[in-house]
Amino acid sequence: MSDRLSSGSDRLDEILSGGLPLHGITLIIGRPGAGKTILAQQYLFRNASADRPALFLSTASEPMEKVLRYGQALDYFDASALGTSVIYEDLGQTLNENGLASVLARITELLKQRRPGVMVIDSFKALQVYAPDAAAFRRFLHDLAGRLSATPVTSFWVGEYDGIDTTEAPEFAVADAVVSLSTDRNAERELRVLQVLKLRGSGFLPGKHAYRLSPQGLNVFPRLADPIELDMYDDPHERMSSGVPALDAMLCDGYYRGASTLLAGPSGVGKTLFALHFVFAGARRGETGVIATFQENPVQLERILHGFSWSLHDPGIELMYRSPVDLYLDEWLYDLLDTVRRTGARRVAIDSLGDLRAACADELRFRECVYSLLQRCARANISVIMTQEVPDLFGVTRLSEYGISHLSDNVVLLQFLRGDSEIKRAITVLKTRGSAHQQHLRQYTITPDGVTLGDQFAASQSLL
Amino acid sequence: MVGQRAAGIYSIGAVARMLGLSVQTLRAWEDRYGQVVPARSSGGRRLYSRDQVDQLSFVREQIERGLQPSDAHRLLAERTRDVAQPRVSQGPRAGADSEGGRLAVLLAERDPYAAEFADYFLRTEGYAVHIVLSAAEAEQILDAQPPNVAVVDLMISGGAGLDLCRTIRECASIPILAVSAVDSRDAALDAGVDAFLLKPLEPLRLVSTVRDLIGTSAYLRRGAPLS
Repeated sequence: MSDRLSSGSDRLDEILSGGLPLHGITLIIGRPGAGKTILAQQYLFRNASADRPALFLSTASEPMEKVLRYGQALDYFDASALGTSVIYEDLGQTLNENGLASVLARITELLKQRRPGVMVIDSFKALQVYAPDAAAFRRFLHDLAGRLSATPVTSFWVGEYDGIDTTEAPEFAVADAVVSLSTDRNAERELRVLQVLKLRGSGFLPGKHAYRLSPQGLNVFPRLADPIELDMYDDPHERMSSGVPALDAMLCDGYYRGASTLLAGPSGVGKTLFALHFVFAGARRGETGVIATFQENPVQLERILHGFSWSLHDPGIELMYRSPVDLYLDEWLYDLLDTVRRTGARRVAIDSLGDLRAACADELRFRECVYSLLQRCARANISVIMTQEVPDLFGVTRLSEYGISHLSDNVVLLQFLRGDSEIKRAITVLKTRGSAHQQHLRQYTITPDGVTLGDQFAASQSLL
Repeated sequence: MVGQRAAGIYSIGAVARMLGLSVQTLRAWEDRYGQVVPARSSGGRRLYSRDQVDQLSFVREQIERGLQPSDAHRLLAERTRDVAQPRVSQGPRAGADSEGGRLAVLLAERDPYAAEFADYFLRTEGYAVHIVLSAAEAEQILDAQPPNVAVVDLMISGGAGLDLCRTIRECASIPILAVSAVDSRDAALDAGVDAFLLKPLEPLRLVSTVRDLIGTSAYLRRGAPLS
């Protein structure tokens, strides 16, 4: 028998090392509007049964009517369970008339008569003011915790506690687990984050995990921060075409399968095109490719593809277009991993890293994410190609501000050159991990057939 | 909650008494037919689940009807295959009113809150309950008003529960149910208890275990021991 209570969400359970402590007391804290009641009700409906019903006890903050009215908009809210396996009860009146003692008496009665498996008290913090002094409130807490731990019930105390409370309020000492819901602010952007502050009996995924509230409840994205895995995995030692034969030659026979490649260059130089070559070359060989883009919406992308006789309708292509507006980095990563899993994709193009970087306030966190993503893909032999804009239009002086070139197996530089009084495009392979490559700087042109590589620049040619 | 009927609770001695079979017979069946194989505690002691007691009861019924043990086990195997969910045996409500007087439970419990709940659920089932909050009090009750079954929290009186179990085993022939928040099945079985439950106690499980041990369950009522 598991000693954990599942939320019904694999990702949330993963953060909690399997779930919340069964028969324990969990404190859910956060400001109004953070989704505390939504989360508590998620556990409530998930774990309710006619044998062991789930109780929702409202106290003195939100009227029961409102909890129910808003609750029914949630997917998991099952109106047919009300009164049998899920029971809502308002303790507000009892509390106002007869104080905390009556709450204790009523809860004891419910524990005996209903034998609940789960019990939510919302708001728990509102109970404080009904105690004449701090000592009386502690006595109430001790009495309540004693009763709850004598019966096999998992309880949730929901409250609008803030940072100072976490060290001073006695509820935090009594609780077996504390889950905080808060908001991280970065300029005008807001990011909802879930954090586990305490979890007795096991470890948990530390740090802040982004979440969104939806009709499905609380949808959390565990911080992707994979530790270094030292065990060996299967390396096919297989080369795969970049989609541009002449580039394959420069790479000494294409990229390794499972390798990550950074395509760096200024705006308009053709990074997206090289990435598309790679993905469509795979599709032609029956390898599904995912195009994860922020840059062009499907209509715009189809127009571009059409110019090169490609199409999004290609069965080997899966488009994942997300707007860079209000983007959650971790949500996007899970989205991508899900898309890859669902389609069985072998090649992934990310266009571009800059959009992804903008979704993350913290550079270190961004690198951690990209590292985790590339590691996961490498271990599954999925090849990733990423585009990255460099700031200089001519004479590239820096590759990346966020150190992704170190994380990538291959780095290919695309640049504009001024030579013979016209702008030319040139490609250089800067790095290929575990493989040799040609050092040439080669000219290329963009034609309706895509990228066509020309000759190596002559030594006499003046280049800037 | 799923899996509860499959959790190991009863000692082999308790099962033998409940079904009117000998411990040797249970061991022999297990070796020979490999059908009802109890879980083992970390110390290697057999712990039968409710489901397994059900299965053994089925085997015993078939033998009473004239089948050989091997055929009875074959029938059990077929039944297990056919019916995913084992049949739930409904013991009569405890209280044994038909036998006159209420059956008494000695509840030796350290935690007053736990005692309050256990008392409530046992009383609801018709048992008379004597609550004691220390081992010394328990021993007094044993002398003054011998109960029909003892429920002992092993943590009572600073961890004197095991000693209390041994004392009860020596001076009375009543079944003992040990309960504890700490998994100490082996120590409890060594001290001679008949069953063990981990706290917090599921109310229905507490009541059904007490009912089984005290002999008011369907198992014991179903007939005389096998000859």
